[in-house]
Amino acid sequence: MSPPDVTAIPANPPRRALPLHRELDRVWRNGPGLWGQVTSVSHTTLGLRFMATAFVFFGIGGLLAMLIRAQLATPQSAFLDTALYNQIFTMHGSIMMFLFAIPMLEGLAMYLLPKMLGTRDLAFPRLSALGYWCYLLGGTILIAALLAGVAPADGWFMYTPLSGKTYSPGINADVWLLGVTFVEISALAAAIELMVSILRLRAPGMKLTQMPLFAWYILGTAAMMLAGFPPLILGSVLLEMERAFGWPFFDPERGGDPLLWQHLFWLFGHPEVYIIFLPAAGVLSTVIPVLCRTTIVGYGAIVAAILGMVFLSFGLWVHHMFTVGIPHLALAFFSAASMLVAVPTAVQIFAWIGTMWRGRPELKLPMLYILGFFFTFVMGGLTGVMLAVVPFNWQAHDTAFVTAHLHYVLIGGFVFPMLAGVTWWMPLMSGRRRIKGLGEAAFWLILIGFHGTFFLMHLTGLMGMPRRIPTYADNPEWMWLNLSSSFFGFVMTIGFALFTIDLILQAGFGKRSVRDPWQAPSLDWAMALPPPNYNFASLPGVELQKEGAGGAMLKLARGEGLLPGAPRGRREILVTSVGTARLEHVALLPFNTALPLVLALAICAFVLLMLAGFYALAPVALIPVTGLIWAWARRAVASVDAAPVEVAPGLLLPVHPEGGTTLTQSGLRCLLFADGTFFASLLFGLAFLSLVSPGPPLPAWGADQKVLLSALAGLSLLVTGGLGARWALGRVESGRPAGAALFGWVIVNLVALVALAALAAGLPDPTRHAGDAVRAALVAYVGLHITIAVLFSAFALDLARRGELAHGRAGALRNGWLWQGYTLAAAALATAALWAQEAAL
Amino acid sequence: MRQVGGMVWLGWLIAGPTAWAGAFSVAYGLHGLGCELGWPALDVGPLSLQRMAIALPSLAAILLCLVLLSRVKATLGPEAGLPRLGLWIGLIATLYTMAPVLVATSC
Amino acid sequence: MKCAALAAVPLVLSGCTGPLSTLSPSGPIAQDIAWLWWALLAGAALLALMVFVLVALGFGRPREVAEGRWVFGMGVWFSLAVLTLTLAGALWIGERMLPHGPALEVHAHARQWSWSFTHPGTTGRTETEGVLHIPAGRPVDVLLTSSDVIHSFWVPQLGGKMDAIPGRQNRLRIEAARPGTYEGLCAEFCGLEHASMRFEVIAHDPAAWPPLLTMEGSRP
Repeated sequence: MSPPDVTAIPANPPRRALPLHRELDRVWRNGPGLWGQVTSVSHTTLGLRFMATAFVFFGIGGLLAMLIRAQLATPQSAFLDTALYNQIFTMHGSIMMFLFAIPMLEGLAMYLLPKMLGTRDLAFPRLSALGYWCYLLGGTILIAALLAGVAPADGWFMYTPLSGKTYSPGINADVWLLGVTFVEISALAAAIELMVSILRLRAPGMKLTQMPLFAWYILGTAAMMLAGFPPLILGSVLLEMERAFGWPFFDPERGGDPLLWQHLFWLFGHPEVYIIFLPAAGVLSTVIPVLCRTTIVGYGAIVAAILGMVFLSFGLWVHHMFTVGIPHLALAFFSAASMLVAVPTAVQIFAWIGTMWRGRPELKLPMLYILGFFFTFVMGGLTGVMLAVVPFNWQAHDTAFVTAHLHYVLIGGFVFPMLAGVTWWMPLMSGRRRIKGLGEAAFWLILIGFHGTFFLMHLTGLMGMPRRIPTYADNPEWMWLNLSSSFFGFVMTIGFALFTIDLILQAGFGKRSVRDPWQAPSLDWAMALPPPNYNFASLPGVELQKEGAGGAMLKLARGEGLLPGAPRGRREILVTSVGTARLEHVALLPFNTALPLVLALAICAFVLLMLAGFYALAPVALIPVTGLIWAWARRAVASVDAAPVEVAPGLLLPVHPEGGTTLTQSGLRCLLFADGTFFASLLFGLAFLSLVSPGPPLPAWGADQKVLLSALAGLSLLVTGGLGARWALGRVESGRPAGAALFGWVIVNLVALVALAALAAGLPDPTRHAGDAVRAALVAYVGLHITIAVLFSAFALDLARRGELAHGRAGALRNGWLWQGYTLAAAALATAALWAQEAAL
Repeated sequence: MRQVGGMVWLGWLIAGPTAWAGAFSVAYGLHGLGCELGWPALDVGPLSLQRMAIALPSLAAILLCLVLLSRVKATLGPEAGLPRLGLWIGLIATLYTMAPVLVATSC
Repeated sequence: MKCAALAAVPLVLSGCTGPLSTLSPSGPIAQDIAWLWWALLAGAALLALMVFVLVALGFGRPREVAEGRWVFGMGVWFSLAVLTLTLAGALWIGERMLPHGPALEVHAHARQWSWSFTHPGTTGRTETEGVLHIPAGRPVDVLLTSSDVIHSFWVPQLGGKMDAIPGRQNRLRIEAARPGTYEGLCAEFCGLEHASMRFEVIAHDPAAWPPLLTMEGSRP
């Protein structure tokens, strides 16, 4: 069957909108009451909840900031003792980064993307919910630690050895490492599903090169998250292993290196700034043209700028490490990359200004925040260029100048655009208009408060005030600067409080908003306010996409688009091809379920056991986690063949893609990309510890032929397993029984696991030297992957036993095969790396 | 014009920056290795072995970008615009980040 | 010439002095960086002003916009030119500041939460607590080590900062133009008493070098 031409799809006959709404609502709505909220998997509900929760954490982080400013208002304040002060500034940074900025942008993207792309939900609704619960539980652990007085206190970048067991003996640092990693599950989950949704769920005919710029920004963000978070997660895992089991990755006396932590942290930490900036820029590129009544200047150049940022921002992590004693040549090319990354930023700034020149800007409330963005972010960007200048950095590094700079960038480049976005989309989210006056007052308080706090802080830093000190009795010359920063800090807080009040008033008491109040062209406004969970009663084809929100709204509501209603009582969406959005198949999305919450609670149990130091018991908690993931996957399996669905008159689409790529497969590929980055970071760690680290040399392992043989045996077993899976797939696709082949696959993988265990038993003690530790970590990584490969093969065998593997429904088998291939590649690379480590001795 | 799939097009789009990223990582790795092994002291023609080793991957990336630039139109037809910009990003970024290598003190 | 420029901004400078101020440098290296800062500030102020004016002009009547000129002309080529200029200047000054050529070597050893220094004295190499003695008018390389966590050696009036990292030895060049006492501190957050991890650098007249160190020469 050749793919249907998306430009020539006939329209469905119009129906009455209200019965259509009722039909859809019955299928898509959340359950009643609190339980309905708990089980919801809707992107609208979860997106809003992500944003609301992020806002609460923003409030907590802001309160901590006020405590810091109160302490610093006078030179020798006894307001906070030093231990508490250290916890507070560490938590302020960690909360704002991990519990506010990232979840806020995830929430906005989750809420908006399906609406902008013309579909009904994200690709993996249960994953959205899982991400939310992990975020909430992880954040709660961090806040609870703060209330209990055992919050992390080593600064938000947790430099080793200060964060190691010797110098931070309590559980404070473990709270950070485990809590933040737990929260990062939500970041990875969001990245995977946003990426798959943008690539595969766009309305038919919406080419990549024509999709709304916001989607390009989020695509870039998601790609960066997949590449940027794994180094942080790896760093956290390694540091936690050092703290818990004494594996000395960062201990210089046993061959470790504190700089490895800095590399891994900033390999995440710098891209993080752009991960935060890109969605904010996406809001600007969406809102500015509409508020100027024109189209964006330089669509192609902006996409290229996003592309440039996504890559270039990974080439400047060392610019946070200019004072650690790195050779000037290396500094030079990181400095050059830091300069270069300013170019895509400049391209966007000038594109936005050009857009304002071409159109007629309207000074509505979102535009005020956009002006606040220009005023603030341009200065932050320029001080960023200054800090990229190595000699200047040697003076300004770790002073209040950097504090000022990063707040200009983050508040200017993220918070102002987000406030613009929130005021812009509030009518959509709440269905109500705002109350005039309050918003403007909040804006001016925030703007004046912000610049009053941070503008002179640059000078405070140049006058020598370092970051993270609670008192400065010997330096009265800093007093007036600090006092004025503190005063304006409270002004800014009042502004944010007023902003919050404004939002609450609007949501509770605002007048009903008309549909599409801004006359925007994008599909996110082509729906009722506030939007129903299914977004569109029928999905927009090429013609309706051209008509803009105003024109398409009614026709979509009357079912004239594709796949109208929910006549089969299922949650149906359209899956399209990556480039030109050709129609591929209909996907069935899962119904409301508490499974994500239960899974998140199981993971939380593991985290808490680790935190409490019950290391022997913690792996037991992984058994329910595995079982729940198994149940999760079971529910995704279609047990019977489903008939093709008529999405438009005469146009039938299959429910299972024939040999095509399912959404789950796309998701697995994204996961493997992140996994690959994790593995590459581990190999980087091995190379770094072997080549650059100055500590004592790695004692010989004495690996003999037996070790080599068991490694080779393990590798050939994995190859055999892969061949077995392939063979089984061939048999399933041609309708023959594959039970024997699948059984062989399971057994071979199990034997491979035993071979690896034998090899692991012969490893030298990982606590002896960092080289031994990283070797053991590599073996553990491969072991984990073989274990999962065993589960994949067992899952496929179970399906075959139940007769649920069939032609066109062999996705589980394909996924298992993909995993097997990745495991094999990782095992082969790990073997080579271990051989190289041994040869380098 | 040939019709190309979305993934192929995305591959072309990221080819340029990927070439830069590869060259950048390899150059940084070789720099660390070279400092360890004393390459700056070994001369190969007008340059030290160190500078040679760091410059070579960049030259390869530049060459790759140029070759792809010469073929992007023929392969992608009307959809060649963005991938071409991507290749230019790779080219300029490689030139720019590698330029200081020729002057700065090595280890 | 320096004096003329200094006289042009007396008001600004008078507010910026202090024992830890990078804006009242007392040696050639810190002086270079201070000039670099003023140059960067001037450039940044001009650029910011330009952008603000362009944004303000956006509120005029709608007009035709040449897209290429905005995104490529201004966005790419203009910004690339400015950045290249900055980078070249940075590299040039950075190379000048590197420890090239001979210098007096002293050791600074950091621990939670104090510094000890080893340097020449009349009775050979001498160790002092909390006070580093150097000759004025001569480049000095400080060799930095740490016995516990990461610290950072910073004397704002004499030069940049450099981390003291356990397991490594870093080298930082500083120079004092005139004899005097300069304040220094630990710039990298290092735990509970981070704020009090201060030290002094006493630059001696070259004629009186090496100094006669008594117990008063070191902090109690």
